[in-house]
Amino acid sequence: MGILRRGYRTVFFENWPVMLGGLLIGVMSVITFAWARPWGVAGGLRNWGDWFFSLIGVYEQGPLSPLFSTNSILTLGLLWGALGAALMAKQFSIRTAPTLEIIKGIVGGSLMGIGAAMAGGCNVGGFYTATSALSFGGLAMMVGLLMGAYLGLRYLYWELEHLPGRSTGGGTEKAKEKGIDWLSIEPYIGIAVFIAAIVAAWAYAREAYTRVGGLLLCGIAFGVIIQRTRFCFVRAFRDPFMTGEGEMARAVSVSLIISILGFTALKWTGLRGTEVYVTQTFWFGSLVGGIVFGFGMLLAGGCGSGSVWRAGEGQVKLILAVICFALSTSLFKALIKSSPGLAALIGRSFFLPDWLSYKWTLLVLILIFAIYFLLATWNEETEKFTVEM
Amino acid sequence: MIDEIKADETLDCRGLSCPMPVLKTKKTIGKMQSGQILEILSTDPGTKNDMPAFTKRGGHEYLGEKEDDGFTRFYVKVK
Repeated sequence: MGILRRGYRTVFFENWPVMLGGLLIGVMSVITFAWARPWGVAGGLRNWGDWFFSLIGVYEQGPLSPLFSTNSILTLGLLWGALGAALMAKQFSIRTAPTLEIIKGIVGGSLMGIGAAMAGGCNVGGFYTATSALSFGGLAMMVGLLMGAYLGLRYLYWELEHLPGRSTGGGTEKAKEKGIDWLSIEPYIGIAVFIAAIVAAWAYAREAYTRVGGLLLCGIAFGVIIQRTRFCFVRAFRDPFMTGEGEMARAVSVSLIISILGFTALKWTGLRGTEVYVTQTFWFGSLVGGIVFGFGMLLAGGCGSGSVWRAGEGQVKLILAVICFALSTSLFKALIKSSPGLAALIGRSFFLPDWLSYKWTLLVLILIFAIYFLLATWNEETEKFTVEM
Repeated sequence: MIDEIKADETLDCRGLSCPMPVLKTKKTIGKMQSGQILEILSTDPGTKNDMPAFTKRGGHEYLGEKEDDGFTRFYVKVK
C-alpha cells in the first residue's frame, strides 16, 4: 500500500518535467502512427462540428459518426485522459472567468478553427504531425505560428495597458459546497474515469473495432502526459518573446526530432504511405492559417491540444474556445470545399523527400529543430527576441 | 513563516488563466520598489509552475505559496 501511495503521489501530485513530456509525446506520436494513423486534434473537433451542423440541418450529409471516426476518437481520448488526470491530481474544478476572458476564449477559439481549416490541422495536425510526416506545409505553419504568436502577444500587452481593469479577477469564487468535500473524492472519480476508458476500448475490440479502441487509449495517453506536464505549444512559440523562457521550445524541438525519426522510418521503409498527413496547404494555407491560428491561440490561452486538455480541467474559457473551434473549423472547411478557387489558393501538398530525398530531408529537419533548440537557449541568456511591455 | 509575510501590494488574478497571471505580475513588479513584497492570488493550476520559474528568471526572490479557500496565494520579493 505504501508503495502504491508513493507511486500515486509521484505520478499525480508532483510536477513532471516538461522535457519528459516532450520525449513521451514524441514516442506516443510514433506509436500512434504505427498502430493506426498519426495524431491529430483539429480533425476530431471538426467531426464534432460537422456532426452538430448536420444534426440541426445545416449540412445535408452527416459526417462519420463521432463514435467511429478516428479523428473524433483521438480528440475524445485527449479530453478523457486530461479529465482523468486532473481528477486524480485534484485539479479539476469548474473555473469561471471574467467577461473579457470569456470573449477572448470565444474569439480565439473561432480564429483557431479558421486557421486550422486553412492549414489542414491545428498546431498538432498542421504543424507537429505534418512536420513529422515530412510535409513542407508543417514548416510553413511553424513560421505562421511564430508570427501569429508575436502579434497575439502584442495584443495582450496592448490589453494590459488599455483595458487593465477588464481582466481583473476576483469575485468568481463561490464558497465551498457544503456537505461533500469534492476534492477528496476526485481521485476516486478519476479512477472510475480510467476504468471506463479501458471498458470502452474493450467494447470496441469486442465489436471488431480494435483499432478504434486502441486509438482511444492512445488519445488518453496523450491526455495524461499533456495534463501532467502541462505541455503547451503556445508557450513554445510565445515564451521566447514574452519572458525569454525556452523550456517548452526545447521540449517541442526534442519531441519533434523523435517523431520525425519515427515517421521517416515508417514511410521510408514503405510500411506507411508517403502521402499520409502531407497537408494540401502549401504554402498559403499553412502560412496564413498559421498566423490566424497563432493569434487565436494567444487570445484563448491554449492551442488545439492545449485548449482541449484545459477544457478537461474544467476551465470555462477554454471549454468555450473548444466549442467555437469545432463550429468555426467545420464551417470554414465546408467553405473551402465548396469553392475550387479558394481550395486552389490554399495550396498543394509538398512532400519534402520528393524534392530533397529522404536522407537530406531528415538531416535538414533535424538541423532546423536543433537550431530552434539552441536559439531558445541562447535567447534565455541574451533575451534578444524578448519583447518589452 | 509564510503566514508572517506582510505584502506591500496584492494582485488579484483569480479567474484568469495562463498567461495573464504571469503578464500581470511582470507589469506590477515593474512599478514596485526593490525589496517590496507582492502577493498574487490565482486560481489557475498552471501558476504554481509558472510563478517560481518566472520570478527566478527575473532575478526576484520567490518566497512561497499558501493555499486558501479555492485559490492560492503567491509571494514574491522584488529584486
